[in-house]
Amino acid sequence: MTLEKLILDLTHHIRINKGFLVWMGFLLVSLMVCLYAYSIQLRIGLGVAGIRDYVSWGMYLANFVFFVASSLIGMLISGVLGLIGMKWITPVTRIAETIAVAFAAVAGLVIVSDMGRPERLAYVFLYGRFQSPILWDVTVVITYFVLSSLLLFLPLIADMAIIHRSKQALPSWLRPVYKLLSLNFTDRPEQNKIISRSIRILLILLIPAALSIHTVTSWLFAVTSRAGWDSTIFGPYFVSGAFVAGSATVIIAMFFFRKNYKLQDYLTDLHFTNMGKVLVLVSLVYLYFNLNEFIVPGYKLKRADAVHLHDLLAGKDALLFWVIQIGGLLLPVLFMLFRRFRKPLPITIIAVAVLIAAWFKRYIIVIPTQEHPFLPIQHVPQNFITYAPTLIEILITLAPFILVLIIITLISKFFPVIPLFETAKEKGIEKIEFE
Amino acid sequence: MRCKKQLFLIFILASLIPVRSSAQAWIVPDDQKGKVAPFKFTPVMVKQGEQLYLKNCQSCHGLPGKNNWVRITPPPGDLSLEKAQNQSDGELFYRITNGRIPMPEFRKILSDEERWWLISFLRSFNPRYIQPKPVSQAVFTGKIIQLSLSCDLPSKKVKVMASEALKDSSKIPASGVEVLLFVKRYFGNLQIGDSKSTDKDGIVLFEFPSDLPGDKEGKVEILARVNDPGDQFKSNAVSMKLAIGVPTDKPSLIATKTWWTSRRSAPMWVIMTYSLSVIIVWGFIVYIVYNVLKIRNLNNKPNNQ
Repeated sequence: MTLEKLILDLTHHIRINKGFLVWMGFLLVSLMVCLYAYSIQLRIGLGVAGIRDYVSWGMYLANFVFFVASSLIGMLISGVLGLIGMKWITPVTRIAETIAVAFAAVAGLVIVSDMGRPERLAYVFLYGRFQSPILWDVTVVITYFVLSSLLLFLPLIADMAIIHRSKQALPSWLRPVYKLLSLNFTDRPEQNKIISRSIRILLILLIPAALSIHTVTSWLFAVTSRAGWDSTIFGPYFVSGAFVAGSATVIIAMFFFRKNYKLQDYLTDLHFTNMGKVLVLVSLVYLYFNLNEFIVPGYKLKRADAVHLHDLLAGKDALLFWVIQIGGLLLPVLFMLFRRFRKPLPITIIAVAVLIAAWFKRYIIVIPTQEHPFLPIQHVPQNFITYAPTLIEILITLAPFILVLIIITLISKFFPVIPLFETAKEKGIEKIEFE
Repeated sequence: MRCKKQLFLIFILASLIPVRSSAQAWIVPDDQKGKVAPFKFTPVMVKQGEQLYLKNCQSCHGLPGKNNWVRITPPPGDLSLEKAQNQSDGELFYRITNGRIPMPEFRKILSDEERWWLISFLRSFNPRYIQPKPVSQAVFTGKIIQLSLSCDLPSKKVKVMASEALKDSSKIPASGVEVLLFVKRYFGNLQIGDSKSTDKDGIVLFEFPSDLPGDKEGKVEILARVNDPGDQFKSNAVSMKLAIGVPTDKPSLIATKTWWTSRRSAPMWVIMTYSLSVIIVWGFIVYIVYNVLKIRNLNNKPNNQ
C-alpha cells in the first residue's frame, strides 16, 4: 500500500457534497425547533416542563447522566486499552475521542437546560462550596472535556501536516486551516518526542479524570439519603454503565463511518468483533453491579426501599425496568457471545438497542426515587406526584442529541476519521515527505 | 443464671409501674376541683357547646348517650354517663384544659369561655345537674395597663406587676389582669405555665421551671404581656434577660468546619484536596499546551538528520 492510496482512502470524504448539506440542514432545522422550545422555557420558566416539587430532576438530569456516561468511552478505548498496548484500537481511537469530546462538551449544556436562571451559571464558581459535589462535577466535566480535546488534537497534528502537503483534492479553504493546525510539524525527533510524551501524560490523566467525572455525577444522587440513590456502589455502578453506553455509541459510529466514508478496509470485522467483546465484558460488569444494587436493598427491604423497589420491579415502572434490563443488557450479552452476532450489521442493531436502553436506564435511576419522598407534601395536585414530561421538555431533551450529531458530523467530515500518520506507520509506510 | 432471672423480673416489674400510673392516675389538683363557671349556663351556650363538641370531641367520645366512643386505650367513654357526670365542673374543666395522652389539651385550642360552653352542653344530658352559683373572677376594667417585671433568682420566682396609669400620670395597682409569661426561643415564644390573673396589689407570681436551658451563662430572655385577645386595653409587653436558666454551652452546628456549612467554613482537607487536584491536573494541561506550541518553532532550527 502506498501513501497516496492511504491518503485517498482516509480523506476522500473530506468534501462538501449534497448528502452532507442535506444532513446538516436537517440537523440545523431540528436544532432550531428545539431552541425555540428552549426559548419558551427561558421566557416562561421551568414550569413548562413536567418537573414539579416532587420530581424536580426530570428528563434533563437523566439526559445529563447519559451524556456524561457516553463521553467516558474515550477513556476506556484510548486510556485503558491504549496504555496496555492493544494494537487493534488504532482506527477506533479517533472515533472514541470524537464521541468523548462531543458528549462532554454538550453535557455541560444539558445541565444548563435544567436551570431556571441560566445566566447565574457563573455563580457555581463565584460562590460554589468546596464541599458540594456540584462544584466538583462542573470542575471535572470541564477538565475531562479539555483533556479529551487535547487527546483528539495531538494525533491530528501529523495528519494535518501530511494532508495539507498532499495532492489530494480538498476544499480550498481547508488547506490553510490544516497548515495552521499542523503546527509546522515535519516529523522531527524533538517534535515526535513532545507529541508522544504529551499523549502519554494525557492518557494517564484521562483515567482518573474520567473516573471522577462519572463518580462525582453518581454522587450527586448517592450523597442524598433517598431510597434508590442511597447506595455506596453508585460510583462503580455508574462508571460500568457508562462503558456500556459508550461502547454501543462507538459501534454505531463505526458502522456509519465504515459505510458512508467507505472505510471497509480499515474498520474491519475484526474491529467489530473486538468492540463486541469489549461490550460483552463491560455489560457483564454492569450486570454484576445491577445485581448488587437491587438484591442487597431488596433483601433487607427497609420501608422506603420496599416502596421504591416494588414500583420498580413489580409496579408502575416495572415494564420499563424489565425491558431495559433484559432487552438492553441480558439479551445483548447472550447474543454477542456468538460470533455471527458480532458482525457489523447485527452488532450495530444490538448496540442501538443497548444505547436506547441505556438512556431509559438513566431515566429510571433519576425519576422514580423522587416520586417517593420521605415527607410527602399534603394536598398536592396529581401532577406533583407522578412525573410526566411535556412536549417542550422532550424537544429540549432532544437538542443535545442534535448538537452531538452536529459536532461529530463536522469533526468526522473535515478530518480523517482514521488516524493517518499512525496507520501509515503500522502499514509499514516509512517514507513520508514533510518538506 | 438465677441472678439474671431476678434481674429480669425486677426489670419487668419496674417497667410496669410507670405504665400503670400513667394509665390510671389523672389527678386533678384540689384547688382546681372547686372551680366553677363564671356565668350561668343558658340554652344558647348549650347550643354553642354542641357545635364545639361535634368539632373537637365527637371523633373519640362519640355522641353523648349513644355509647359509640372509639375503642382505644384508655377508653374515652361516653361523657353522658356517671363516670363523667359525677365529676365536678372544676374537674371537667381541668381535664379539658390540660388533657393527657392520648387526649389533647384544649388550653390553646378553645378559650376559657368555650370550654365552659362545652361543659354546659355535657351537663344538658344530666337531669339531676344543678349548676353551682357562678363566681365571676375579678376582671380589670381600666384602660391603660403598664407591666413591670422583676425576679427573685434564688427561688426562681418571676414577679409581674400590673398597674393602671391614670390621667394625672399617677399609677394604681391593677387587679384581675390576665398575664402571660414567655421565654424567647429561636422561633416564637415558649409559654411558661398558665396565664394568671393579678391579685389586689396588681401582682402575679410565676414559678420558673428549673430545667430550662439558657445560654452559656444561663441567661434567657423572659417576656410578659397581658392576655388581651379582644384588644380592650392599651398595654405593653415587658422583657428582660436573666440568668435564670440552666447554663448550656452547645456549639452551633455551623460554628465548626463541616461538610454542611458555607464555603468559608469548609474543612481544610476538602479545600486542599480539591485545590491540589485542580492545580496538578491543570498544571499538566498548561505544560502540555506550552510544549505543543513549541512544536512550531522546532522546525526553524537546522536539520540535524
